[in-house]
Amino acid sequence: MIPDEGEMRALVGHRFPGGQYRIEHWENFLLSEATGVAPLPDALAHPAHLFHVAINGVGTSITELFALAGAAPGAPVSIDWYDWRIEAPLREDETYLLEGGIEAHERSEAGAARVVDSFVYEIAIANENGEPVARVGFRWHFWRAAGGPA
Amino acid sequence: MAFLARGRGAGVNVEIGDEIPSFRMERVTPERMKTVAAIFRDPFPVHWDREATRAMGFDGRLLNQSPINLGYVINMLIAWAGPACLRRVRTEFPKPVFDGDGVSAGGRVVALAEEGGRRVAECECWLDRDDGERSVVVRAWVEVPGNVD
Repeated sequence: MIPDEGEMRALVGHRFPGGQYRIEHWENFLLSEATGVAPLPDALAHPAHLFHVAINGVGTSITELFALAGAAPGAPVSIDWYDWRIEAPLREDETYLLEGGIEAHERSEAGAARVVDSFVYEIAIANENGEPVARVGFRWHFWRAAGGPA
Repeated sequence: MAFLARGRGAGVNVEIGDEIPSFRMERVTPERMKTVAAIFRDPFPVHWDREATRAMGFDGRLLNQSPINLGYVINMLIAWAGPACLRRVRTEFPKPVFDGDGVSAGGRVVALAEEGGRRVAECECWLDRDDGERSVVVRAWVEVPGNVD
């Protein structure tokens, strides 16, 4: 079932609860290793953390983002783009403050029997003093019919 | 496990057209995807359930997480310019990376600018699968040593 377009469009402006995130050494070690390298020096966290720190730290989750967008179980979801603006590197064991929401929606058709809802998310990360650390933007496509991008 | 050169790759003479030394991931493994799925709390089964990817037309091959594909490019940039070099990364993902793939990151400097007293190199970067498909396209702004002439 394809969600109502008006309901999807109404998600623009939705704000996540906001929250905090603290990267622990074990997850920095494991995520760094997953990219094929040892952890960075001086407790710097691998920048790939920006993806999940933003989502989980702002008080949502991948599961909730899928549910908000009305994604059917097992339906394809793909990434369009990331835009990460970085003021300061992430570090282990520092508390970050996050806020953000859904900035844009677009419905399009991609071939026969395919409808795609695309959402832009924007999340700001600050340190404990409120100083900006990063802005994490990304756009996901939710494919409403069988099949997905090859 | 690859060794990061702690940024000793980018000297003070970075110039437009410079090639960035590549980063190589010899084989993307399902074990790492599962680790990342747990860290991300990512319920999307394409990273750990071959039946799910078969149903989506991917022939039962698992799809690597996009932040990890970008992570290979970031590793290249950090090895070249230092662990805190990143200012901005804008990334598109034209093709997936699957378990068992070998991938190579590459890049080059396309512009240099001064921003707030910092020398910033604008770089076009990519991640290519061994079958020649381009999986990731990145425009990165990276702080490098030296002064703009």
